[in-house]
Amino acid sequence: MPGDVKVVERPRAESSYVRAAAKGMSITMRHLLSPNKKTQQYPDEKWELAPRTRGTHRMAVHEDGRAKCVACGLCPTVCPVNCIKLVPAEDENGERYAAIYEIDEFRCIFCGYCQEVCPVEAIHLGVHYENAEYSRERWVYDLERLVEQEHDVTALWDPQDPASQ
Amino acid sequence: MAENGANAMVTLTIDGVEVTVPSGTRVIEAAEHVGVVVPRYCYHPGIPTRPAQCRMCLVEVEGRPKLEPSCTLQAADDMVVNTASDTARTARQSVIEFLLVNHPLDCPICDAAGQCMLQDYAYVTNQLESRVDEPKRIMGRDRISEDILYFADRCVICTRCVRFMRDVAEDDSLIVAQRGDKAYIDTFPGRELDNPFQGNIVDVCPVGALVHEDFVFKARAWDMDATASVCPGCPTGCNVTIDTKENQIVRVKPRHNAAVNSWWMCDYGRGHLVMTNRGVRAEVPLIRDGERLKPVDWPTALDWVAEKIDALGSPGGSAVVSPDASNENLFYVHRLLDRLGVAGAAFRVPQGETAALPTVPTLKLRADRAANVAGAELFGGRRVDDLPDGPAAGGSTADGAAGGVLVVLDDELEGAGEGFGGSAGFFLYLGTRLPGAARNADAVLPIATFAEMDGTFTNFEGRVQRFHQALRPPGLARPGWMVLSRALARLGDGEAVNEVRGAFERMAAETPAFAGLTWDGIGLKGIPVAGSAAAAVGVAASPEAGA
Repeated sequence: MPGDVKVVERPRAESSYVRAAAKGMSITMRHLLSPNKKTQQYPDEKWELAPRTRGTHRMAVHEDGRAKCVACGLCPTVCPVNCIKLVPAEDENGERYAAIYEIDEFRCIFCGYCQEVCPVEAIHLGVHYENAEYSRERWVYDLERLVEQEHDVTALWDPQDPASQ
Repeated sequence: MAENGANAMVTLTIDGVEVTVPSGTRVIEAAEHVGVVVPRYCYHPGIPTRPAQCRMCLVEVEGRPKLEPSCTLQAADDMVVNTASDTARTARQSVIEFLLVNHPLDCPICDAAGQCMLQDYAYVTNQLESRVDEPKRIMGRDRISEDILYFADRCVICTRCVRFMRDVAEDDSLIVAQRGDKAYIDTFPGRELDNPFQGNIVDVCPVGALVHEDFVFKARAWDMDATASVCPGCPTGCNVTIDTKENQIVRVKPRHNAAVNSWWMCDYGRGHLVMTNRGVRAEVPLIRDGERLKPVDWPTALDWVAEKIDALGSPGGSAVVSPDASNENLFYVHRLLDRLGVAGAAFRVPQGETAALPTVPTLKLRADRAANVAGAELFGGRRVDDLPDGPAAGGSTADGAAGGVLVVLDDELEGAGEGFGGSAGFFLYLGTRLPGAARNADAVLPIATFAEMDGTFTNFEGRVQRFHQALRPPGLARPGWMVLSRALARLGDGEAVNEVRGAFERMAAETPAFAGLTWDGIGLKGIPVAGSAAAAVGVAASPEAGA
């Protein structure tokens, strides 16, 4: 026999599976009869998400429906994964606005820096997780789609305790 | 100063460091010698007047009861200056606080953000909160010339723009209207701002109050890459900085060079440079395949061209070059012409209106609208008014001498007839674009524009100045010297060079006028070539050559 194989003799009580199987069954029975069942009936029932959950973006709008974005370029600058594309332009009133604003949600790591840096509180992460798409292209959200989103926006910090103390 | 003599030096102490400067130097300039940049708004080294009105450069001088504005204070022996004492700092912070009373703080949409002296000093002085409860006065924006916008709310009334126009351009059309917090910059009633050098007021503006219309909302300061270059608009060769974003030129700013353009450049140059790389470009080498031109890769194209030239021997012929070509391109094309037995290339120079900045004698928009006229002449080019009508060029006598070569370097062949080059034995076209007149070419080699490569220009007075690559060339286009050196290497003449240093060094070694020049030695400010007008006025500019 190659090498030294140590053969350990175990007592019958330890090597029998009957006792372990009975113990497992008892746990199963206990949960079967328990009143606190945890299985959730998704999608009929949905998770209640924490207010600081960070999901896909949403753009805030003015009362007249225009996006609040002023195309300052801070979010593409601060974005660690370069997932925001912005082309600024001048509108008919001489105001700066985003002619192209696209977020690649596939590339996004949901760090929330864009929301934190935005000087006009326009771009927000969302309390949202259902993001299935049929194609990868659909994951690039343009300005129109960001404005259309209706989910709650993420609270990046607790208003009562902004410094998390 | 007269009693001290012209060359007297004074020694003073600034922030604990002793410095010796020529008498008459202002303290703000002396401080720069020891690495202290005193905050300033109204002071600009290129504008002769010093109103000392912004009160930003106040410094403490030992033995004087009050703070002194360092932009007008002359350095004197034994003066002890403290630029960062508590009193000086408090004074500066108060100035910033007052400037911010009515400032809109629209940095997120302001084009100067990131390059703004108000922003910088607000951070430096730690002026982060306002004590003002009153509403800000709002003035909106105005168009003070055809292409310059004025955002009155951002203005700090340093009057640099007014003084540039009045004291440097000698044009009185810009004024400060009103007083106090209602003051704003405007054109004099009934006058218009239409000076050929007015674009400089945007560059001198320390904040975002004056913005060129072509640049407004285009790019943030931190998105742009800056490249040292030379303006190709006319033979003056103003030193410029090209700001690029995503392989596009978005802005051009003058770069200081006391021997050429001082701090300024003309509006024609700005517009011309921004447009340099627009339009359809030649992107792929093409070689003749019967009736059509066939796209091929570089090795195939160069092998084919070298083979043809080798077979031709030295047939003579004619050549047309562009006076916008760099020295290196011109050198290599003339090496090729020597090989082919062509004596000197012809070049045409487009003409335009001239304009001069009265207070800077070397800075003129010259009538020749090409960067390297002096260089083209230096390499043996002949200045002509029309395309050569000689044997190879397909003119009236074309049939007589079929078989000569025709070489064209980046001339767009305006005015060339249908059959241009048709009867040439071999028609080689090197160009950034592909004009219709090149249809008869046997080979078309796409080359890079000056903004897409490194190289040198020789300016009107013979100063060789370096420019650097700011953009990627499109498609397979490559610098002319790179292409030509490879073609010549295949013919057994020299080596293929991959970077401009090699091309420049070979040019310097084989061209008497450039003898002794090195790529590094030229630096960013240029050096006059031997025997040129610039060399004759003195080597005064050389010490700063390496800067």
